[in-house]
Amino acid sequence: MRALIPHSEDFTSAARGPATTARVGVWLGVAFAICFVTGYWSHLQYAPPAWLPLGPSPSWLYRVTQGLHVISGVAAIPLLLVKLWSVFPRLFERPPVTPFRAVFLHGLERLSVLLLVGAGIFQLVSGSLNVVQWYPWDFSFRATHEAVAWLSIGAIVVHVAVKLPVIRTAFDAGTASVDDAGAGPSRRTVVRAALVSSGLAALLTAGQTVPGLRRISVFGVRDGSGPQGLPVNRTARAAGAVAAASDPSYVLQVRSGERQVALTRDQLAELPQQTHRLPIACVEGWSQTAEWTGPAVRDLLALVDAPDGSSVLVRSMQTRGAFRTSVLPSAFVADERTLLALKLNGEDLSLDHGFPCRIIAPNRPGVLQTKWVRSLEARA
Amino acid sequence: MIRGFLGLAGVAAIGWGLWLLRDDGLERWRSQAIWLAGGVLAHDAVLAPLVVLLGVAAARVWQPRARAVVAAGFVVWATLTVAVANVLLPIGGRPDNPSLMNRPYVVAWLVFTAFVIAAAVIAASRGRARDRV
Repeated sequence: MRALIPHSEDFTSAARGPATTARVGVWLGVAFAICFVTGYWSHLQYAPPAWLPLGPSPSWLYRVTQGLHVISGVAAIPLLLVKLWSVFPRLFERPPVTPFRAVFLHGLERLSVLLLVGAGIFQLVSGSLNVVQWYPWDFSFRATHEAVAWLSIGAIVVHVAVKLPVIRTAFDAGTASVDDAGAGPSRRTVVRAALVSSGLAALLTAGQTVPGLRRISVFGVRDGSGPQGLPVNRTARAAGAVAAASDPSYVLQVRSGERQVALTRDQLAELPQQTHRLPIACVEGWSQTAEWTGPAVRDLLALVDAPDGSSVLVRSMQTRGAFRTSVLPSAFVADERTLLALKLNGEDLSLDHGFPCRIIAPNRPGVLQTKWVRSLEARA
Repeated sequence: MIRGFLGLAGVAAIGWGLWLLRDDGLERWRSQAIWLAGGVLAHDAVLAPLVVLLGVAAARVWQPRARAVVAAGFVVWATLTVAVANVLLPIGGRPDNPSLMNRPYVVAWLVFTAFVIAAAVIAASRGRARDRV
């Protein structure tokens, strides 16, 4: 059995080792840092803290941050694989037996690396599966992806602290000892291949959010098509909204305190209409601009004399899934581009896009752009 | 000094991450632990040993120079394949939503594979031509 488990010295590739690890590691660190910052930014959108005045401008901001989040996550996958490959022999390093201090420190470092690798893989795998809407686990994706992001970034920072001398030496040593190896690929070959793969992975998937890349991104989760020229994230059927949304006796309730009005869809269409080009930007990393038409939410609130500075609780008719309600903060309500859209690209909304009417506001995550709206309620 | 500060900041972030998980309860913790450990196992016990074996096999088949080309091609091909495995595997998507996962991914992957092989063959034959000169 002992003979079956290799020793770290059994691995002979000259391309493995700190020079490779440090160089790929820097890029991987950049990718994870972008993921962490943009991911944290995304979480702030769901429950904006008082110290952060999130607003509707610029309308493309969330589209860019979330697109970047998913692109850098995809780009991180080849980098992580090559980095792990470059240090794999170290897994078989035999731990020290004495003195106690050495044993303890070794164990602690192993534990931190276990967390580093475990959390890193977890983030990339769970993110990849979320993008294709597959959830084969018993936890909440959003909450866990956020918590493990902290574990991951913390383990990375600890790892950098531990490895700083090794990283410095790896870069100081330069490229002198690299290309003379007669035994297969050089370090330079492997690092370049990792960067090429990382860039390709980004390019071949980014078209779901970067319009110019749509034709190149053959591995993009969405090609940009869909009913009325726009992809759908959750259909009316999946949301359990078909029956209520196609009911001909539908009315929208708008309420502020005691004041309340009920409007049919025809009445909504008779109100002053606004048309704006705004992106839908989903947490899953896809985004697309479309032309939306409908009354401004603030004009609807004016019908019930809602005070200036109100936020709005939006209720959906969907009977299944998360985000059946959303709160539009006052900064979004005040913006004339925040619409209760009736039309998409010049046609009446299709059922899957939120018929009879849906919220569309600039610079918001897609899941908060509530579809199949039942009521709007002003809140102080 | 810098290392000490980084170390503390990292430990604080890990602590905050664990704090965020505190209310999840047994069932969720179990699932989270399975997926955290599962990723490490899938890599360390399956993927990485497989690559080691392929490397040993490649060393028997190809000369060092050709092996560098093969290795470069393999790194690009294998890591990109893993990166887009979410659309290649028969997982995810929704039968009621044709705007999700609506590209011919396997065809694209076969074309990509052919490109990598072609590039490796061209690079290797150029290397041989240089050797002869």
